[in-house]
Amino acid sequence: MTAAILDRPALDRPVRAPLGRLLASELRWVLRRPRTVIAIVLLAGVPVLIGVGTRIASSAGVGPGGGGLFASLIGNGFVLPILSLTLLLTMLLPLLGAMAAADALAGEAAHGTLRGLLMAPVSRARLLGVKAFGVATTVFIAVLAIAVVGLATGVVLVGTDGLITLSGNTLSFGDALARIGLAVLWVTFQVWAVAAIALAVSAFTEHPLVVMAATLAGALVFGILTLIPQLDWLQPYLLTSTWPTITDVLRDPMPWDGLVNSTLKAACYLVIGLGAAYARLSTKDG
Amino acid sequence: MTSTSLVEPGVGAALAAPTLAARTRGLRKTYGSTIAVDQVDLDVPDGAVLGMLGPNGSGKTTTIRMLLGLVQPTAGEVELLGHPMPSGAQITLPHVGALVEGPGFHPFLSGRENLRRVASAEPLMASSAIASSVTDALERVGLADAADRRYRGYSLGMKQRLGLAAVLLLPRRLVVLDEPTNGLDPAGTREIRRVIAELHAAGTTVLVSSHLLAEIEATCTHVAVLHKGSVVAQGELAELLEAGAPALLVSTPDVEASLDALRDNGIAARSTEDGLFVELIGTTAPQVVRVLVEAGAGVHEVRRRRTGLEDLFAQLTEGEAE
Repeated sequence: MTAAILDRPALDRPVRAPLGRLLASELRWVLRRPRTVIAIVLLAGVPVLIGVGTRIASSAGVGPGGGGLFASLIGNGFVLPILSLTLLLTMLLPLLGAMAAADALAGEAAHGTLRGLLMAPVSRARLLGVKAFGVATTVFIAVLAIAVVGLATGVVLVGTDGLITLSGNTLSFGDALARIGLAVLWVTFQVWAVAAIALAVSAFTEHPLVVMAATLAGALVFGILTLIPQLDWLQPYLLTSTWPTITDVLRDPMPWDGLVNSTLKAACYLVIGLGAAYARLSTKDG
Repeated sequence: MTSTSLVEPGVGAALAAPTLAARTRGLRKTYGSTIAVDQVDLDVPDGAVLGMLGPNGSGKTTTIRMLLGLVQPTAGEVELLGHPMPSGAQITLPHVGALVEGPGFHPFLSGRENLRRVASAEPLMASSAIASSVTDALERVGLADAADRRYRGYSLGMKQRLGLAAVLLLPRRLVVLDEPTNGLDPAGTREIRRVIAELHAAGTTVLVSSHLLAEIEATCTHVAVLHKGSVVAQGELAELLEAGAPALLVSTPDVEASLDALRDNGIAARSTEDGLFVELIGTTAPQVVRVLVEAGAGVHEVRRRRTGLEDLFAQLTEGEAE
């Protein structure tokens, strides 16, 4: 017994697991979860659907009757990834963010595994950091996958002739890639903002479904608010109202104002979401 | 209550080891108007196996959750391994292994993957030791063969074993097991007992809760009985067992003669299926034996009747209910 006691590590100072190990473990868990993988694969399939669908429609002689973006798809492979991101940002990408956030805290609580992490112990601030990292990575991978598959599909269907902007001129292959990269970062950040709010909801409940429902409801309410003329003054505060500015990356020269403003707005949502999540998590019973 | 010091001479002086692994004073937890735990003064002596006994809803799990810093007490103080909780969680919890409110694991991962995840979060686990620690823990609970199957397909008993394996990943100072035998078959129950005995032998303090009396009686050195959120009795198991009314069970073929002799000497006795039941009130065991021998009764066996924790438990909880 004496030997066993002497072998014990000292009990006089706080000890923490290496942060890198926690992050790697979280990532491993997130990426091994079947629904994460399935969701990312399905989302990445959307650009193929749009590209092939538009191609078939145009070769059948049916002119694209939609907006300018759809029209510019024809003969312009670089538009496909950006168009795909634009369409997916309106609903499916926020839903992916909500799903990841729901699993991150509410899902762990429902399985009883959150208690295990708290007892390890992982401090609550670190836990939130690790969880936010996992959600953020999931979102980034999904956005990147959509862009890459979109670009590949576009190149296969149309070729690498450069990007014809909405302003009418043509950008080089390198410039076009930079624009797509910018769109990826911008979209990722917007979805992070949604996911941060979802993470806050996730900290308040043990039911992942509540997180999904709340995020969906929030998106719908924002949409309704946008439609009410009397509530015009609310527009600058709604996250979703500036989402159409993503098409700015297809203009030349590129107007930065809208992109920067919407990014700052998303940053506010991000801070509020993470702040609320921490406030709840720090007092939550394990 | 005072606890006997288990500190080794020399070693203890240098380490100033706490003599109580866990201690609560005036612990109280209310949820709205419901009082879950009230005025709990619990002492878990270092090196003891303390059984927390109580019917369902008696506050066992809530007390454990407050001990582990998972729940903030409404009032009162908690000390774990000599540090106040929950503020000392980062110091103490790495040395504590706990299985609380059933095992929590992810269904889509294998048992091994689940344990790897738990091990990654353990502050005292060396990264290089994760793989071997996980394998060892799985073997120790008899899950080596099922290690790479998904947790989804585990039986209730296997899930419980995996929870135990998570506790055994590292050598601990304190192990807390909340209803560890839930869902286990008799063989599984015996294995839990064996693990608790091993932990005890290695100097680990064990806090185990159960509503099964036999379980506590079989594994614990100390016991605390909870009822309606309060500790109604606690101390060494042997002491609490002695506390009941003492009696002797006498195995004899001469029941009638024995009864007469005892009653003539003012000793309360009655016949049972295979002999006599003698109450040791105002008399002692040697006196009873002498009376029997002098009366010429043949005595096969005399043994002290253990009051049984079950009796004690029933007495305590019924007394509280009235």
